[in-house]
Amino acid sequence: MKASSILGLNARSGVYLTPLNTHKARRIADSKLLMFQTLKKAQIPTPLVFKKFKNPRDVFDYNWESLPDAFALKPSRGFGGEGIIVVKKRATDEKGHKIPTVWVTTQRKRITVQDLKLHILDILEGAYSMKNVPDVAFIQEYVGRHKTFRKYAYRGTPDIRVIVFNKIPVMAMLRLPTKESGGHANLHQGAIGLGVDIATGITTKAIWHGREIKYKPDTERKLHGIKIPHWTTCLEIAVKTAIISGLGFTGVDIVLHPEKGPMVLELNARPGLQIQLANMAGLKKRLERVEDLQVRDAEHGVKIAKALFAERFADRVAAEEGIKTIGVWENVKIVGNKGEKLEVRAKIDTGAWKTSLDKDLAEKLGVAKTSNVLWTKVYKSSLGSEKRKVVNLTFYLAGRKIKTIANVAVRSNLRTPIIIGRRDLEGFLIKSNKTYA
Amino acid sequence: MKNFFLVLLVTTILGFLIGMIFLDLPAIAQIQSKGGSNLEVTVSKQSIGPVWENPVKFIIRGSISSGVSAKTISLLLLLTVVTAFIAGVRQLIGLQSFGIFLPAALSVVFVVIGPILGIGLFLLIIAIATLVRFALRKTKIRLQYLPRMAFILWGVIVCVLIVLFLAPIFGGIDFGNVSVLPLFILILLAEDFIRVQLGKSVSAAVNLTTETLILAFASYLILTFAPFEQFALLNPEILLIAVAIFDFILGKYIGLRFIEYWRFRKLINS
Repeated sequence: MKASSILGLNARSGVYLTPLNTHKARRIADSKLLMFQTLKKAQIPTPLVFKKFKNPRDVFDYNWESLPDAFALKPSRGFGGEGIIVVKKRATDEKGHKIPTVWVTTQRKRITVQDLKLHILDILEGAYSMKNVPDVAFIQEYVGRHKTFRKYAYRGTPDIRVIVFNKIPVMAMLRLPTKESGGHANLHQGAIGLGVDIATGITTKAIWHGREIKYKPDTERKLHGIKIPHWTTCLEIAVKTAIISGLGFTGVDIVLHPEKGPMVLELNARPGLQIQLANMAGLKKRLERVEDLQVRDAEHGVKIAKALFAERFADRVAAEEGIKTIGVWENVKIVGNKGEKLEVRAKIDTGAWKTSLDKDLAEKLGVAKTSNVLWTKVYKSSLGSEKRKVVNLTFYLAGRKIKTIANVAVRSNLRTPIIIGRRDLEGFLIKSNKTYA
Repeated sequence: MKNFFLVLLVTTILGFLIGMIFLDLPAIAQIQSKGGSNLEVTVSKQSIGPVWENPVKFIIRGSISSGVSAKTISLLLLLTVVTAFIAGVRQLIGLQSFGIFLPAALSVVFVVIGPILGIGLFLLIIAIATLVRFALRKTKIRLQYLPRMAFILWGVIVCVLIVLFLAPIFGGIDFGNVSVLPLFILILLAEDFIRVQLGKSVSAAVNLTTETLILAFASYLILTFAPFEQFALLNPEILLIAVAIFDFILGKYIGLRFIEYWRFRKLINS
């Protein structure tokens, strides 16, 4: 990969953060309370805030016994996961009765009201805030582990970091707390970062301390191939959050509530760059690919991302199914808007990159509808230049289901209504003299 | 990554020792701090043209004749180089350090009290601050943030006092020319250090300290290198404009930092 595909700190600040993230938007991202308020108004799901502590008097006046058994205590302007105490349950005495003023944290430490009070006073003094300015503390709903992650995360809640740029989720990473990170999901504290395929929400690679690993440390549990539930919702929530906050380039942290589903936990105006190693992909290249696209809304942005940044699982397909031999002329079944299949004759064209579909056929199948159009692009060919729509397309070739993108062109005077381009021919071998029977 | 810093640390220490033994750095510092009059002579010997061509030279000459030492002026001029240097190391190479203020302040302290004493005191102060912090944590004494910081600084100041008392008894280090201001800066830097330390692992804190010391020591060399001093005093216009242009270009650089080529090497090689 070229070094110019990779996003470094200089370019992150100079090209993306400073010009795109306005002062107002950054203010929202830097204060968790303001962020939760903004998201709540836009009806984006977030964990509930039970109580805010703005000055020391709030701390002494509060009825501590009214706290629930599980909660999280956080500084509003904390960063890097610092200053957060997550309480999982109330402590019990010898007889098994709950003690109203003592809790147990996710790290299995006992914590008393006295500890909580001092911690909040620390937060108010600004011990955990950026630049140590006086801060506000708050108590929030506890988000437990989703059952999918129970075997992977060590005593903490994993989260999903999604980088959103121009309303498009360009890269994502699942972060798993480890023994070393002490329940935190921050990579620099020792959490594991897992690259995630944008199209399917399946994890691909894992890094720990900047090095690639295959298994969860000290176990034989493999880290690739985990399917994140509610994946499309996660991506859409991330994009909606980015839009409502006004940040042009942002990292949205999403947690999966065991019952309530995906929720936004944090918004980062300066997302880290380690995500590139976890995905083994350069962020700069992806950002440059999508910067000119006109995106209508969150749904559209997610669709574009799924089409553009889908991982090629072709190696695995080839390993599992073997390489298939096809001829130059093949019959394909195209899946229409309502799920119906239509069999047409296709030409396998290794001279083209993208698959191209006839306009009349596309309209008949309903795949050229506005909601399915990703973008329009000017194509140059031997016949001059022409504006074509690029759409999502699913078809079956030689028994294999192929989900891809295709451009729509007038092909009425050509031999076949569709040509299949190189982009969709991985795992196939083309026999040049084997013709369509 | 760890190896990289280890190599960096070892080479710096080696460089430092070589400098001490062969170049006799403390002696150079001594000579330079006493040799201010030489600089003034150099400046007065330079023939300068009309005012509109050399405005800064006239200002310098004016302030020297009204009693400002040439050393002060050359330090100020070279401080622009040092700040640009620290910014450059961060933007181009990628060493982290504690902002721009800490290494720059340290380097000025080194100039005033000498690099060996400076580094020694800095390490001592940081060691004590860390010790007090850990002691408070281990004994589970809970103090609020600001009083806790004041208590840590109390410990640091007491230890510095003890060193000052012990120094004449054991001899060796001459505290005669150590004024209060550099000591003051060193002690207050402990707060910044502890603030950065909060929430970072020990190795991260050690790396950061090492990087800061390297930067500060390099800055010290820039500040005290005699040819630089002379150049700054004799060609202040060129120096100021060149540094400004460098800062500007640096601010426009958006390529990868040297350390990032290393950090993302697997990506680049894939």
